[in-house]
Amino acid sequence: MAILKTENLTKTFGALKAVNGVSLGVEAGTLHSIIGPNGAGKTTLFNLLTGTFPPSSGRILFDGRDITGTPAARIAHLGLARSYQRTTVFPAFSLLDNVWVAAFATGKSWQGLMWSQTGRYTEVTTRAREALADVGLADKADVPAREISHGEQRQLELAIALAAAPRVLLLDEPAAGLSPDETRKMVALVRSLKGRYTIVLIEHKIDIIMSVSDRISVMHFGSLIAEGTPDEIQKNPEVRRAYLGGVAA
Amino acid sequence: MKKPIVLLLAAVVLLPLVVRPAIAAEIWIFAIFGLGLNLLLGYTGLLSFGQSTFFGSAAYVAGWLLKHYGINAFLALGIGVGVGAASAALVGYLCVQRSGLYFIMLTFALNQLFYFIAYQWTSVTGGEDGMPGVPRPALLGIDFQDPLTYYAFISILFLASLWLMKRIVESPFGKILQAIRENEVRAEAVGYNVPRFKLLAFVIGGAFSGLAGVLYAMLFGIVPLEAIGFAFSGNVLFATLIGGSGSLYGPVIGSFVFIWLSESVSTLWARWPLLLGVAFVIVVLFLRGGVVEGWSRFWSWRSSKQKT
Amino acid sequence: MLYALMGLGLSLITGVLNIPNFAHGALFAVGAYLLVSAANAIGNFWIALVVAPVGVALLGLAIEYAGVRRLYAAGHDYQLLFTFGLALILSESIILIWGPVGYSYLPPQILRGGLDLGFTFYPKYRLFVMVMAGLLVLATWLFLEKTRYGAIMRAGIENKEMVSLLGIDIQMLFTVAFALGAYLAGIAGALTVPIRGVNPGMGVDMLGIAFVVVALGGLGNLLGAIAAGLIIGVAQALVAAYWTEASTVVIYAVMAAVLLVRPQGLFGIR
Repeated sequence: MAILKTENLTKTFGALKAVNGVSLGVEAGTLHSIIGPNGAGKTTLFNLLTGTFPPSSGRILFDGRDITGTPAARIAHLGLARSYQRTTVFPAFSLLDNVWVAAFATGKSWQGLMWSQTGRYTEVTTRAREALADVGLADKADVPAREISHGEQRQLELAIALAAAPRVLLLDEPAAGLSPDETRKMVALVRSLKGRYTIVLIEHKIDIIMSVSDRISVMHFGSLIAEGTPDEIQKNPEVRRAYLGGVAA
Repeated sequence: MKKPIVLLLAAVVLLPLVVRPAIAAEIWIFAIFGLGLNLLLGYTGLLSFGQSTFFGSAAYVAGWLLKHYGINAFLALGIGVGVGAASAALVGYLCVQRSGLYFIMLTFALNQLFYFIAYQWTSVTGGEDGMPGVPRPALLGIDFQDPLTYYAFISILFLASLWLMKRIVESPFGKILQAIRENEVRAEAVGYNVPRFKLLAFVIGGAFSGLAGVLYAMLFGIVPLEAIGFAFSGNVLFATLIGGSGSLYGPVIGSFVFIWLSESVSTLWARWPLLLGVAFVIVVLFLRGGVVEGWSRFWSWRSSKQKT
Repeated sequence: MLYALMGLGLSLITGVLNIPNFAHGALFAVGAYLLVSAANAIGNFWIALVVAPVGVALLGLAIEYAGVRRLYAAGHDYQLLFTFGLALILSESIILIWGPVGYSYLPPQILRGGLDLGFTFYPKYRLFVMVMAGLLVLATWLFLEKTRYGAIMRAGIENKEMVSLLGIDIQMLFTVAFALGAYLAGIAGALTVPIRGVNPGMGVDMLGIAFVVVALGGLGNLLGAIAAGLIIGVAQALVAAYWTEASTVVIYAVMAAVLLVRPQGLFGIR
């Protein structure tokens, strides 16, 4: 059963159809990648899924429930978390605080919101530390976010999404701007998350896509032009033409 | 972290020995006012340039009730806090949807709205002349006519306010506000209804400002028109910035500096706002970060020198 | 019409430089006082009318050079404090130089008296101000719409990065915008003098109104500022005819009401 599904999802900005009638389904527990040239509408699709803006038409279903038009602040509570293409963290906060804030939002209760010391929320703090540990930043928990390297910030970016204990992770180019070494670490990280979460991944680096994906959807000019297993996609002539450049793999 | 508390307690006790109790009281009142502003400015990143709206409204309403209905001090304080919070809710509701320059301009313009209402409604507010004759009722049998007794009352309220604000900023709510300041979009994405939190910050800041307003009215026995004017808004902003908006104690230190300065200079020269303007300009150009940051920078410079 | 002038100037400054200019009202006042002194010194209203705003523009240049340009990277709080401090310095200096009491000032001979419009007598000078201010607004508008530099300035409001990437000196743009905004405030002030005289508090009142105009017109939306200025001016005149005391309050109340319904102002883009 598809845990996340879109039905004929469309978003137009004036004359531009950024996302054009996209219908796709993501099976629970799988890693589903979305690829396509720049401007294909991938990030816009993510924005629609996370409620940054409502679609012009179409539906989004999460776990069978229609969540179309749900505002961004509610999406996290439903179990969908996202990491961004351009690193967007809380610069003055320590790494721990960065994830703590995300963990608290979706925590069990907000009791004592304005009264209790933050240290009292052990469940939240534990989840926060676990998220940091998952991405390998546990030893830097007290360092301010603006003082860590770019690669580490990309890891933090992921950790913030993890801290919400979501069921579905939407990762927008987690390896953006990373060196080959850092990219390898990121790939290993994503692979380690595979069983525990349903992952929807946007990436440009083909080798990453091919090595981790269970299914791939290809977008071009806002529309879905192909979908299938990595093998099927590699052999698909249309995809080759639009994206892979027609070179035999 | 016991040191600041000890210093503060010492300051509270020793201050009336150095300056007139009325001035000392004014300092702590302004500090409460500043704490309210800094929740918005320093912690949430919202530059509210109309805090005197809440300060003045509370002063007028409570002052009027004190004067004409002889309510007791307890009720006056409660009303002050309530009016401050309510007016802040109103202003906040109109303003939180906007950000940046727009937000600043809106808070300012709404401040002006309240100002002109107060200016025109002379039958109630006394217009330019202000609302004189605000009594200082007793509380629990303690008479506050004696300046020193009233000072003690105010300093207790100040310490209580400080403690309350400390709890608030150290709570998850405080963290969330700071997250909004650091990255509003991400704060929303991780699941916080940002406008609602901003509004809440407004209301709390307004409540503190309202408390300061009532205490002010009772201290001087009059509600001057300036209390709701933009000069007051500017003064509390200056005090907060010069103390340092990055810390809890910044507004407290800033109030010290500001009130001390303004009280000493204003008696010397009628044109002292000129110097105030100059002070603003100097602080902006040379003393960014305020006293608190300057102090911590000084200490880290010293410790790095000691290492060499 | 004067409100449109003030709104346009402020919108330009806030739009291009992205700073809250709380000294705008003070610049208005300086323009007015400079006119009085210049007219008294030179003996000719018209020459003074030309000279005084230029003086304000020069003052604007000095302010931008000495202070504002250092604050582009600083937060709005410091920019605010700076312009606010400036406003204090200017208004107190006015009192120092010209005294705390206001003056009244008669319009030049040919513009005295009223014009019979058929249904009412309308002061000739006010008509002149309307026409003059209208011409200035039009001239500024043409400059911004039709000339190349004006287009650059409008582009600067939209996207400063892009403009600097195009190799245009963004600092010069800021300086010119500030000086132009100051000029508009100055000439608005100068024009006001024969209507209401001068007094040291005139800047503060105008500041609030200028902000209302810009808020209603949409930040950086120059045409919106003009339109909003006109609307506010007319609304205030109408209210003043029936309920004089409330006229200023009404301006702010209208603004609050509009913003409740349309947070982006009447003409702003969300």
